[in-house]
Amino acid sequence: MKRGTSIFIALGVYFSADVCLLRAQTEQSIGFTQSIKPILANKCFACHGPDQQKAGLRLDEAESAYRTLESGDRAIVPHQAEASLVVDRIFTDDPEALMPPPEKDNPLSAAEKDLLRKWIDQGAGYEEHWAHKPPRRPESPVVQSKEWSRTAIDLHVLANMEHEGLQPSPEADPYVLLRRVYLDLIGLPPTPDQIEQYIQDPRPNRYEHLVNELLMSPAYGERWARHWLDLARFADTNGYEKDRYRSIWPFRDWVINALNEGMPFDEFSIKQLAGDMLPNATEADRVATGFHRNTMMNEEGGIDIEEFRFESIVDRVNTTGTTWMGLAMGCAQCHGHKFDPVSHTEYWQLFAIFNNADEPEIDLHDPVIADQRAQIQSKIQQLTKSLKNQFPNQPGDQEEAIGTQFAEGQYYQQRFDQWLESAVGRAVGWTVLKPGSLHSKFHATLTTLPDQSVLASGDKPNRDIYTIELTCDLPFITGFRLEALAHPSLPDGGPGRAHFFQTGDFLLSEFIVETPDDQGGWVRHAFDKATDSHHKDKHEASKSLDGLLDTGWQIGGRTGEDHQAVFALKEAIQRDGEPIRVRITLDQSFIHQVTIGRFRLSATGDDRPEASGMPADVEALLAGGAKEWEATDMALLEGQFHREASELEGAREEIITLRRKLPSFPTTMVMLERKPEHTRTTFRRHRGEFLKPREEVGPGVPDMFHDWPEGRPVNRLTFARWLFEPGNPLTARVVMNRTWQAFFGKGIVTTPEDFGLQGAMPSQPDVLDWLAVEFEQSGWDMKHMHRLIVNSATYRQSSKLSEALLEKDPENRWLARGPRFRVDAETVRDIALHASGLLEQTIGGPSVFPPQPAGVGDLAYGGPGYKESEGADRYRRGLYTYWKRAVPYPGFMTFDAPNPERTCARRIRSNTPLQALTLLNDEVYVEAASSLAKRLLNDQALSDEERVGEAWMRLVGHPVSSAARQQILNYLQGEAVKLSQAPETVKQLTGVKQVTDATVRLAAWTLTCRVLLNLDEVITKS
Amino acid sequence: MKKLEGKPLPKSIVGEQRFAFIEPDAGVLGPQFSFARYGQSQAELSEILPHLGEMVDEISIIKSVNTDQFNHAPAQIFLNTGSPLSGRPAMGAWATYGLGSESADLPGFVVLKSAGGISGGAANWSSGFLPSVHAGVPFRSKGDPILNVSSPHGVDRSIQERSIGLINALNEQTLADWKDPEIQTRIDNYEMAYRMQSSAPELMDLSGETEATMNMYGAEPGKESFANNCLLARRLVERGVRFIQLYHEGWDHHSNVVGGLKSQCKQTDQASAALLRDLKQRGLLEDTLVVWGGEFGRTAMVESNATLGRVNGRDHHPAAFTMWMAGGGIRKGQTLGETDELGYHVVKDPVHVHDLQATILHCLGLDHLRLTFRFKGRDFRLTDIHGNVVEKLLA
Repeated sequence: MKRGTSIFIALGVYFSADVCLLRAQTEQSIGFTQSIKPILANKCFACHGPDQQKAGLRLDEAESAYRTLESGDRAIVPHQAEASLVVDRIFTDDPEALMPPPEKDNPLSAAEKDLLRKWIDQGAGYEEHWAHKPPRRPESPVVQSKEWSRTAIDLHVLANMEHEGLQPSPEADPYVLLRRVYLDLIGLPPTPDQIEQYIQDPRPNRYEHLVNELLMSPAYGERWARHWLDLARFADTNGYEKDRYRSIWPFRDWVINALNEGMPFDEFSIKQLAGDMLPNATEADRVATGFHRNTMMNEEGGIDIEEFRFESIVDRVNTTGTTWMGLAMGCAQCHGHKFDPVSHTEYWQLFAIFNNADEPEIDLHDPVIADQRAQIQSKIQQLTKSLKNQFPNQPGDQEEAIGTQFAEGQYYQQRFDQWLESAVGRAVGWTVLKPGSLHSKFHATLTTLPDQSVLASGDKPNRDIYTIELTCDLPFITGFRLEALAHPSLPDGGPGRAHFFQTGDFLLSEFIVETPDDQGGWVRHAFDKATDSHHKDKHEASKSLDGLLDTGWQIGGRTGEDHQAVFALKEAIQRDGEPIRVRITLDQSFIHQVTIGRFRLSATGDDRPEASGMPADVEALLAGGAKEWEATDMALLEGQFHREASELEGAREEIITLRRKLPSFPTTMVMLERKPEHTRTTFRRHRGEFLKPREEVGPGVPDMFHDWPEGRPVNRLTFARWLFEPGNPLTARVVMNRTWQAFFGKGIVTTPEDFGLQGAMPSQPDVLDWLAVEFEQSGWDMKHMHRLIVNSATYRQSSKLSEALLEKDPENRWLARGPRFRVDAETVRDIALHASGLLEQTIGGPSVFPPQPAGVGDLAYGGPGYKESEGADRYRRGLYTYWKRAVPYPGFMTFDAPNPERTCARRIRSNTPLQALTLLNDEVYVEAASSLAKRLLNDQALSDEERVGEAWMRLVGHPVSSAARQQILNYLQGEAVKLSQAPETVKQLTGVKQVTDATVRLAAWTLTCRVLLNLDEVITKS
Repeated sequence: MKKLEGKPLPKSIVGEQRFAFIEPDAGVLGPQFSFARYGQSQAELSEILPHLGEMVDEISIIKSVNTDQFNHAPAQIFLNTGSPLSGRPAMGAWATYGLGSESADLPGFVVLKSAGGISGGAANWSSGFLPSVHAGVPFRSKGDPILNVSSPHGVDRSIQERSIGLINALNEQTLADWKDPEIQTRIDNYEMAYRMQSSAPELMDLSGETEATMNMYGAEPGKESFANNCLLARRLVERGVRFIQLYHEGWDHHSNVVGGLKSQCKQTDQASAALLRDLKQRGLLEDTLVVWGGEFGRTAMVESNATLGRVNGRDHHPAAFTMWMAGGGIRKGQTLGETDELGYHVVKDPVHVHDLQATILHCLGLDHLRLTFRFKGRDFRLTDIHGNVVEKLLA
């Protein structure tokens, strides 16, 4: 009820404008889409629409609206307003009967009532929402200015312009057009050489040639990747409180490469949505799925991991809706969409499609690193083999050596035999237990590997309890061994699953063993003691027997290795005929996901079971007895001797050092569809809330869309392909609209994120449809579309405004002039760096840390963690700047870079004093000014006049006017005079210790370049 | 609470409440401080808030605030934006969007911070989908109060003036040539930037404050402290800044709640009371709304954890906690709301975070139902689809 009020207020303005427009059209037929639907949507659909049908009435479809109601009345009788109940109810004086009900505080205006009546009298014609009908290539219109058009786009734009009584602007000045197309296609301004080359190019189609060149430039991919990264909500940190670093830059590289290669947009999309599910998916295909791994992750201590996984899937559904469907899916999370035909259940069907993936991090097998690793590993192997040779021939201890002379190898043999004897004594005979049933309380996926160890994957809950039931053939059991084993899929190699705070570790709160009693219950067995091969300080295995859930066995400090704990029973479990049935519980009730990633269970009947500290295979050999040892067994035993012998401590050190030097592969975050047997169940959530699951919902797509391909499995991959099936009314339009927006500043639909009933109507539907059809028919060729647009006469127009044009079309809706607007945040900085010669044009790689004002990071929880890059990395393009969600790079935020917390289809473009302060005073721009000044002065052949021209050309891209040049020279000379009297200022501006005429000039030029860097034209695409 | 010391709470009280760290059956930790009644209103306050005790007749204490969130970042973002997920506009952004700013040379929404970093980060003062000009601007106590408000080394005020003079003169030519109104806005912004460069240091310069004032707040020039920020807040109010937020981190006493609270109150009690007193004596309090509180409360139960090294702490408690409000439009000298004897559940006059937000907007002259912004096909509000103005809080 109250929401109705707010809707009315916000839209009051809208309507009066619409109604005026209609009055001007006098008695023309009333269009449903333009005039009637907005009224119904805002005043009626909330109760009589797709979500609710009070009194059985639904007004958003003709069939339902014309139907005879339960009351016997008909709400709408076409051509008979007086017979239509709707007309009765909106004109009545009776407050009980009046619609909309007065308490909704959302009344119809007199004009709106009239419109509804007339519309019914005219036949009450319904039209499908424009965006739900597939686009058709519009027929070429007839235009008056036959010469103007260069492309089919232009014909449509021109026809619309002429219809509005407008004329196109002349083509932009070549300098202006050149800078415009550079900024649009590669995001950098042209250099003076490039400008000169273009202006001197005699070919009549020099512009088209240039466009082709720019489309092939590697900077093209960087430019257009930045647009895409807004949608992908790309950032370098996890968000929320901890906001730690994550490695997902390989996804950014993938996007840049794909765009540069000209990957068709359908393939580009399918790989990002479901690359992991493609047959024979490559590493690159998997990297592409990083798109939906850019959701935030909450790592606060006390959270429910599943709740935030749930939130990330909500985000994936909504982001998919925005990016490919132009659909405000978020509305249907809590209830049926009030305006668009997406029901509450349909939302959860889409959710189910995205709810079936695991979210691992994968190594990228960079060949350079693989090679480095192979070299080190072969060295390690050599060293390991040579350990025996390094064994001393005599004891080191002098007393022991007295009187004994050892033959070659004799001392080694003696020590080995001694060791073997003690090792056999330590060894316990273990029987590996084969898990019968496996259960994880919080839905981790537990899989038994061939060696009977159990690997955890999939969901990674904050805490967990594993329950393993099994049978054991031993006659009696005196103790159990739990091996916690390393595995490459685990963070830091495991054995734990924790991926932060205590990476690779686990905490085993309690180790519980039970056997069945007579009543069908379980009886718990007491332990005598626990021993372990290794433990973190104060976290011995015995802490897993103390009954306290906040203490337990941990192995911190030695991740990536195998460990074991042995739990000796107080009283042996006796076999009573049948094999012994055992239930083992690994209670891991701590927080922070410190659960075990891989483990194996064994049992023994040995009388004093203890942890030997030896690998299981070695211990098994030793326990099995000497007679069965073969040469390979002996090698294994010798290997263990080499690992333990104190004589080899120094020799082993080298191996350990080498191991530490093994370079890691870069990693990235991906999606991985779960196996069919691990399919997740999705529930509709009442009011969209995590804590209110209702009935189970299977995967599916909303009915309103084109058909689902017959016989295909309902999963993410089919969904991704379905988006590109012919008949989809939205994808091509949505993408082309955003593309148009990138070039012209505004989309043809000004709400690029919402093509639904509440979104804006397209200003030029024929242009949008032409583009959409062309896009689809070109094989989803992005470069083709970009080429078409920048080659169009529409794009090439001058963006100069006249009073008349400003009056008639202030928003440039009809495109009777070219685009003129401030460039994006990253481009503001890229231009300054490029024009001043500082830009480092390396493509790809991890994010970099350019200078930012001191103290910015202080606002972050847990300290700044922003270490400024050294050298060339300070001057990389903006899209490589490290993006910390909680403390974003301020220079970009000031220029409206979007917060990557949510997908962004449209950047705001503000104009504020903080922007002026940034350009005037931020270190980046001061450095750029100084660099540019030095460059200008380095060329000693230039006069100051020429230097002004050169600076202007670099920054603004066209020859400087004589008036401007004179003003700049006056400033330069004025400052030079003042500076010659102010040596301290010169020192501060230039950083030099000795003031000379040359440094005074440098200081004056630095100030001058700083002024030029601040000009409107520098940061504006004209 | 004393009676139940060490014993778990009955399941009937705890219900399905989720906790961050403790188990629902943790024992009760009795009150750690004594309480006394202050002022004519006889409001009950802890012994470690003596200064607030002196101002208690100016404020409304709300003992019945409750939230939906039990972890820091989501709860802070919820309190500020009405949603636990980041991406929506903060209260201050809504306020400046609705009311504009009265300051020509300072931002309309200013964020001040003392002590450590803030869990929710920039999402707490984000403009969300509102134009970015409404985002909170963090002022720093060290370095430039506003990023880049100082000119670079060697650029003094006269150089800056001449430089901006030339920038604007050249931009005037561009304007004459292109007629784009954005150029005029940019020219105006360079002028405002120039003014900000002197108004910001002037704002931060406390040398004009009397010793009595400095002592009243416990402020020390040049120090990053809550006391300095309270004094700055008053100076910002005087300069027409619309919405000022002061963050003071460090209330997360999972361990040693006694030591932690003593230290936090020592840092904040005097200055909070001084801000009220100072605003009042300058006649500003009646037009200024002051709200004091955090994102949630703490449990009646004890938190201890050997591995985390925690003893005698309290966990997060979203179901009932206390805030106070004073000034513009707020009834003086009352205590609103009651909890059960354990401070566990609200039993009278509950004030949900959305109600609090609705009330704050109301006091600012805004109707939370009507202050909306159309985004992604929907009209959004600070209070989402909830919230009622708490009439009992109003004067």
